[in-house]
Amino acid sequence: MRSTAIHRLAFGAILGAFIAMACQATPITPLRDDEVIDVLPRTAAAAAGARGDERRARQQHALNPRDAGLALGIAKRELARAHELGDPRYAGRALAAIGAWNDDDANAPGEVLLMRATVQQYLHEFDAAAATLQRLLSRRDVQNQPQAWLTLATVRRVQGRYADSDSACRRVAAAGAALHGAACLAENAALRGESERARAMLNGLLATPRLENGTRAWLLTTLAELEQRAGRDDASDAAYRAALQAEPRDDYARLAYADFLIDQKRPAQALAVLKPQVRSDAVLLRLAMAGQQAGTAQAAADAAEMRERIAVANERPDAKRFHGREQAMFALWVERDPARALALARGNVAQQREPLDLLVYAQAARQSGQGSARREAQRLADEVGLRDARVQALL
Amino acid sequence: MMVIRVLFLAVALLVSTAAQAHKASDAYLQLEVGEHRLALRWDIALRDLDAAITLDADDDGRITWGEVRTAWPRIEAYALPRLQVVGCPLHLVGHGLERRGDGAYAVLQLESACVLKTLPALRYSLLRDVDPTHRGIAKLQFADGRPPVLRLLEPMELELPSPSSLPAAAPLPDPQAAVAAPAAASRFEFLRDGVRHILTGYDHVLFLLCLLLPSVMRRTGGPGQATHWEPVEHLSQAVLPVIGIVSAFTIAHSITLGVAAAQWIALPAAFIEPAIAATIVLAALDNLWPIFPVRRVAVAFCFGLIHGFGFAGVLAELNLPSVRFALALLEFNVGLELGQLAIVVVTVTLLFLLRHRARYRALVVRGGSLAAIAIGALWWVERTANIAWLPV
Repeated sequence: MRSTAIHRLAFGAILGAFIAMACQATPITPLRDDEVIDVLPRTAAAAAGARGDERRARQQHALNPRDAGLALGIAKRELARAHELGDPRYAGRALAAIGAWNDDDANAPGEVLLMRATVQQYLHEFDAAAATLQRLLSRRDVQNQPQAWLTLATVRRVQGRYADSDSACRRVAAAGAALHGAACLAENAALRGESERARAMLNGLLATPRLENGTRAWLLTTLAELEQRAGRDDASDAAYRAALQAEPRDDYARLAYADFLIDQKRPAQALAVLKPQVRSDAVLLRLAMAGQQAGTAQAAADAAEMRERIAVANERPDAKRFHGREQAMFALWVERDPARALALARGNVAQQREPLDLLVYAQAARQSGQGSARREAQRLADEVGLRDARVQALL
Repeated sequence: MMVIRVLFLAVALLVSTAAQAHKASDAYLQLEVGEHRLALRWDIALRDLDAAITLDADDDGRITWGEVRTAWPRIEAYALPRLQVVGCPLHLVGHGLERRGDGAYAVLQLESACVLKTLPALRYSLLRDVDPTHRGIAKLQFADGRPPVLRLLEPMELELPSPSSLPAAAPLPDPQAAVAAPAAASRFEFLRDGVRHILTGYDHVLFLLCLLLPSVMRRTGGPGQATHWEPVEHLSQAVLPVIGIVSAFTIAHSITLGVAAAQWIALPAAFIEPAIAATIVLAALDNLWPIFPVRRVAVAFCFGLIHGFGFAGVLAELNLPSVRFALALLEFNVGLELGQLAIVVVTVTLLFLLRHRARYRALVVRGGSLAAIAIGALWWVERTANIAWLPV
C-alpha cells in the first residue's frame, strides 16, 4: 500500500516538473563553447554529411531563385522532412523554395505548381491545393499529368467530394497510369459502400506482376480500410499486416493499423506497431490512447505531453486547421470530454471528411447526448455518401 | 516505368498526409507597454535562424554554444530590421538563450523610450523568405492595467533599412536572460573577409606588384628589343595607367568571381592555382622583355579573369548566408577591392618617390621582376606537383 502511494507521489512530482518545463521557457546558461545547445532533427532526408551539400544548394538557390531544378530539389527534400517529422515548418520551407513563381505566373513550370499543390495539401489547405492543380491541368501541354490528376483525386476524396474524385481518377487512367487510376476508383467505390466490387478490383490489381513494394502496401492498406469499414475484422487485420510486411516504413499504414488495433481493444499490439515511429503529434496521440487502454505507466506522461503540445500549438489562433482531427480525437478518447470533442470535430469536418473524421464526429455527437448533433453527423455522412458500418452503428 | 516511379512518390506523400501534425514555426514576442518605455522580448527558434543564416557552421547537425556565440552579431543583424514597432525605435539591450518544448530559442531583449497613446502597430517580416508559414505570436501587456492583447504577426514585405541605420547594440542590464554581451557590431563581416583575403593572398598581391613595378616608368624602345624604362615626370603620368590596369583587373576578377559563385562555370582548383602562378611569371617577364603584343590593360583583364576563379575558391570556406547570398558576395568583393586599393596606393606612392634613384631600374624593376619570376615559377611547380617548399 505504502509503496504504491510513494510511487504515485514520485510520479506526480516528475509529471509536474515535466509540465512546468514544457510550459515555461527555461534559460540556458552554457559554460563551454563545445556545449550543444540544440540538435537539428536527424532525418532520412538529411543523412549525415548532406548538410553541407544542402547549405551550398541553398546558396545557389538564393542566387538563382528561378532555377526550377534547384528549387524543386530543395522543396522535395524539405517536404519529405516535414512528412517524416510531422513538422509543418519544413513544408513552409518547401513553399519558400518555390516562392519565385507567383500563383498566377503563367511561366511557372508545371512541376512547381504540382509541388505547391502537394505542400498545400500537406498543410490541409485543400481548396488552395485543388485550385493550384486545376490551374496546372488547364494548361495545354502539361508534364506529369497523371501525377497531378491523382493528387487532385486525393484532395477531392479528403474533402468528401467523391464524384469529383472519380472524374479525376478517370483522368489518371486516361493519362497512362492505368493501375493508379483503377486503384483510385476502387477506393472511392469502397467509400460508397460498394465493398464487393472494390475488393475484387483491388485484389485484381494486387495480382499485377512485379508490383513495387510501396504500391503493394498502398493497395493493401486501401483494402484493409475497406474491410474495416465493412466490419470484417479478420480480413482487415490480415491486409494491414500484409501491407506492413510489404513496406514496413509506410507511416500511413502504421497509423491506420494502430487505430484499428485500438478500436479492437488490442492496445499492446497497437503500442508495438507505433514503437518505431517518430513521436509526431499523430503518433503521440495514439500512444496516449493505447497506453490508457492498456493502463501502462507511460500513458499519463504521453497524455500530458500531448496536452502540452496542443496548448502550445493553440497559441496560434489558426492552429486547428492543421490539428483539428488530432485535437478532437484527444478530447474524445483521452480527455473523455465529448462536448469539447464535438466542437473540435465539427470544426474539423468543415474541411476534412475522411472516414476517421466522420467517425470522430459521430462518436462525439453520440457521447455528448445531443440529438441535433447526431442528426447533423448523419446528414453529413449522407451528403458525402460514405458508407461505414462503424459510423452507422453510432447514428 | 518513369510515370509509375513518380507516382509512387506521390502516393507515399498523398496517403501520409492524413494524420500528421506538429507545432509550426512560431516566434514569441512579449511587449510591456509602460508610460514612457516599451520593453520587448523576442524569442526565435535556433532551428529557424539556422535556415536563414546558418548557425550550424560545421554542418554536423548540432548547434553548439561556440557557434551561437560567434553568430550573435549575425542573428541581431538578421532579426532587428525585420521587426518595427511604429513610432518606437528599438534598441537591443541584451540577449540570451532558452529552452522550450520544441528546442532552443534565441532571446533578444529590446527597448524603446517612446510614449504610445494607442495600441502599437507592429510590422513583422521575420523568416519571410525562409518559411512563409512562420508566425510571430505577440502578447502585449500594459502597465496601466489594461487587459493584455494577443496578436498574430504574419511575415509581410518590409522595407529593410540599410545596414548602417541599424540600432546599435548597448551593454546589457539584465543578468538573468543575458549570457553574453552583444558583441560590438560586426556588421561588415564579409567585407572584412574580403579585405583579409586579398591582404593575405600573397599570389594576388605579387601579381598586382608585378603590374605596378614599372608604373612610374615609361617604356622606350620598340617590340622585340629589350625594354628600356624612363622615369615619368608627373604623378598623373603614372596614375592614369595604374587606374586603367587596376580597373581592368578588378572588372575581370569580379566577373569570374560572380560566375563561379553562381556555379555557372566551375573550373578545378588543380587548373586555376598553377594558372595564377603562371600569370605572375608572365607579367614579370613582360617587365623585362615585352612579350605581349597587346597593351597591359588587356593583359591585366585576361589574367584578372583567372584570379577571379581563385577568389571564388575560398567562398565555400566562408560560410556566406543563404539568405541574401548575393549581397554577402558583393560585400566580400567590395572588401577585396578595398584591400587592393590600399596596396595600390601605398605601392605607387612609394615607387613614385623612388623612381629617380640611380639603382631604381636595376634593383626595383629588374630585381623585383626576377624575384617575382622565381617565386611564381616555384609556386607553379608546387601547385602542379602538389608539394610544398615555400612557407606560403
